[in-house]
Amino acid sequence: MAFDRRLLIYINWPLLGLTFILFFCGVMNLYSASGFRLEDGMTVAPYYQKQLLWGLMGMAGMLVVMLFDYRHLRTLAWPLFWLTCIMLVAVFFMGKTIYGARRWLDLGFMNFQPSEMAKICILIIGARILAREREKLGFTRLAYVIGVGLIPAGLVIRQPDLGSGLSILMILGGMILYHGMTPKVFKTLILSVPALLPLSWFFLHAYQKQRILTFLDPAKDPLGAGYHIIQSEIAIGSGRFWGKGFLAGTQSQLRFLPEKHTDFAVAVFGEEWGFAGNMFLLTMFCIFLYQMVVIARDAKDMFGSYLAAGVFFYFFWQILINMGMVLGLMPVVGIPLPFISYGGSATLVNFFLIGLVLNVSMRRFLFKQ
Amino acid sequence: MTQMFDDGERQPPKFGLLLLQIFILGLFCIFALRLWYLQIHRGEEYAIKARENQLRQESVFAPRGLILDRNGELLAVNEPAYALGLVREDCKDIKATLVQVSKWTGVPVADLQKKFHKGRKLVKPFEPLILISDIPFDQMAEIEANRLHWPGLDIRVRPRRHYKYGTLMAHILGYVAEANEAEMKKDPDLALGDEVGKQGLEFMLERPLRGGKGRRQFEVDVSGRKLDERMLRNPRAGQELDLSIDLHLQQLAMDWLKGEAGAVVVMDADTGQLHALVSSPSFDSNAFSSGLTPEQWAALRDDPMHPLQNRAIQSVYPPGSVFKPCVAGAGLANNMVDLKETVFCNGAMKLGRHVFRCWRRGGHGKVNFERALVESCDVYFYKLGKKLGVDRMSAFAKACGYGVKSGIQLPHEKGGNIATREWKRKRFGVRWQGGDDLNMAIGQGFTLVTPLQVARFVAAMINGGKLLKPQLLKDDRVEVLGRVPLRDDQLALIKKAMRRTVDGARGTARRLRTKGVDVGGKTGTAQVVRLTDELKKLKDKDIPYKYRDHAWMCAYAEKDGKRYAIAALVEHGLHGGSGAGPVVKAVIEYLFNGVTLKKPAKK
Repeated sequence: MAFDRRLLIYINWPLLGLTFILFFCGVMNLYSASGFRLEDGMTVAPYYQKQLLWGLMGMAGMLVVMLFDYRHLRTLAWPLFWLTCIMLVAVFFMGKTIYGARRWLDLGFMNFQPSEMAKICILIIGARILAREREKLGFTRLAYVIGVGLIPAGLVIRQPDLGSGLSILMILGGMILYHGMTPKVFKTLILSVPALLPLSWFFLHAYQKQRILTFLDPAKDPLGAGYHIIQSEIAIGSGRFWGKGFLAGTQSQLRFLPEKHTDFAVAVFGEEWGFAGNMFLLTMFCIFLYQMVVIARDAKDMFGSYLAAGVFFYFFWQILINMGMVLGLMPVVGIPLPFISYGGSATLVNFFLIGLVLNVSMRRFLFKQ
Repeated sequence: MTQMFDDGERQPPKFGLLLLQIFILGLFCIFALRLWYLQIHRGEEYAIKARENQLRQESVFAPRGLILDRNGELLAVNEPAYALGLVREDCKDIKATLVQVSKWTGVPVADLQKKFHKGRKLVKPFEPLILISDIPFDQMAEIEANRLHWPGLDIRVRPRRHYKYGTLMAHILGYVAEANEAEMKKDPDLALGDEVGKQGLEFMLERPLRGGKGRRQFEVDVSGRKLDERMLRNPRAGQELDLSIDLHLQQLAMDWLKGEAGAVVVMDADTGQLHALVSSPSFDSNAFSSGLTPEQWAALRDDPMHPLQNRAIQSVYPPGSVFKPCVAGAGLANNMVDLKETVFCNGAMKLGRHVFRCWRRGGHGKVNFERALVESCDVYFYKLGKKLGVDRMSAFAKACGYGVKSGIQLPHEKGGNIATREWKRKRFGVRWQGGDDLNMAIGQGFTLVTPLQVARFVAAMINGGKLLKPQLLKDDRVEVLGRVPLRDDQLALIKKAMRRTVDGARGTARRLRTKGVDVGGKTGTAQVVRLTDELKKLKDKDIPYKYRDHAWMCAYAEKDGKRYAIAALVEHGLHGGSGAGPVVKAVIEYLFNGVTLKKPAKK
């Protein structure tokens, strides 16, 4: 197939631009977040350099993903799904244990997390299945879709990695909402979910229960579990309108803020750039998400549209949960903020998924003839 | 290809697209509101909290004022000590930390916990609670090396009082020790672990000696590591004290009293400055500043020799014959002495059914005023006392500074006792009797004085009758508290009699004779108990220690405008001249000839 200039024209440039803006903000913020003051001045840990490197690799990956026609994924969906499940099983037997959880496969050149792959895989298989559903989901179809999702999700939760497992289910859940269900199913779910929530309490680990209790009353244990929430709120709140300025955040520079280059990176941003900076970032994220809605709307096949919706939810949940945690609206859960938090494989996956939705957007002309 | 995309006719779910947009809007609204709440509505409050996190303050210790003797010899200095404190807010696990501290230092965990619980209410937030105020260097090094693993532990260098002559100066300087709860409540400047003067000059001059603590603000990171610091208030060093005491004289007198219980006072007769104020036995001030164990404290308190007692100002003794110049003065002041009149002493005087004996069994024969003083004839003074009566004697004695506190700047001074009719009636319910007059006239009976009072009286006899406030500081100005009601010619009579006591052929203080120096003196032998006839027959050395008489010697020494009054007391020293004389002689030799006489080794 000869190169078609329309491929370039139809790329969603705003999304690409926003991705770069967010990534740039993230690297810059990491520079500040990984710096800390010592008696004789400032030292900066090299996180920002690494993040930059991961980002460049991610962009290369993004280009690769944009080159081939995403429609091939439709045929590859099931093989990819089973491959992922096999890898998740393999983790049980050959996985590396880090911090007490068996999550990593050693590929020789890097430690690879199959659970990251499972997140990509779930939105492809979800798109594959839901795109073929002509009607809103009834009980049996819903059960089928959720059942498919539970295979990788269950394997990931067993690692144990509850966060990633729930992410998988939530991405799939978001796509189901996007697709829609029959009013009867909807009503049943609305009524039963609140009833099931308290039950889930008994399946939580002690530390998870502790986090939820601490979230409800952080002042109860200000130096222990509530410390993260309190310090995070102090960091953000003390930024006030204009912030303390780049590299001038005392909460982060003096290391009162925990996990400041990963989960709480946005608190550093809030402290140094204030309400103004935070509103800018939030607006960027919202437009970023909106571009995916545009892509989902304009995609000329249902698979592409559902892919875009899946990627939307992939980012949406992370933004919601991470900022909710940092702003003290949710319990502490280890979910990073896309492009802002430090993380190698997360950055790769982020760019990969952006590549995927750009792929959908640039090939929409194929159907507009 | 087209086969693959058979859903080309279908439109993306409209409701689903709307839902995604609602989600975005919801996300934006919730977080925008929350950001506004945190950063604008409560921003100021969080800004204050961030500052509290970041900035801390601590006290900067001021060194306590140095104390020097009159020649600039250092007596009390400050040495760096390492104090181990705990910043509660930085400590993750207080119990485990205390256990670890106990492992390092060997202090029982229970003690540390007690200290912690007592102290926790007394320290401000983020200030260290001092667990151990003085830890040895090697322990300090070990703790410092491990400090990063035990956040909250804080080693601070602080000055600690050290006395270079802890035993020699103990009764004058007193000591410092850790402030207790009551002291901290009274004085908000005191913090846990601070030293505060508890006795002596350290106690009396606590304020000027302490100086003022400084305050330092510094930035900390989360592990409590100090970064930038800035002095908010400079510490003000304590005021230096230059004592009037002459260290060498003090040492000399102390050496002469070694093995005895007693006191020596050397006073400049014109200024009231004390050149020596010795009380023996003594204790070591340093033991208190490093903290006494209960056993050490009990041993000091229960020591039969009472080393804690400052005998020069806190112990009262019957003056015996050193009181006679005062009674003689009372006679002169009341015009009841005829200098030419003689009294015949046959060794005793009868009053009613009682016989009052003179110390010389055989009697002195005919004695006049001067000879009565020189040879210390009791019978002469019995008669004078009978003539004067208690009212005149006690009024005059009080004018001479007896029976009242001298006002020396040391705590717990005693005033002694000069009896009056009312006093006796109140105290014993018995009226004053003629025999009481007689006893009073020879310095026995109810009369009790301190060695300092005796020295001050002697000074008044040679300085024109000025009753001076005894001073301990070189820069203290002369304070005349009163005047002895005697004319100069009358004072001269007493002085002359005292001189004759030294240089006369039959004087009792002949051992004080010093070439080229005008020396006068008066001995005293004060009965502790009335000896039974049985004991009187024994030789001196066979009398039990506690029944032996106290030995007094008071003297003045004068040469080239330098005048000193000296008083010495040796408890149970038997006879004034032999018991208390040698130390006075040594003092005079030192003062005027610069010679240090050594006490001969006991045979």
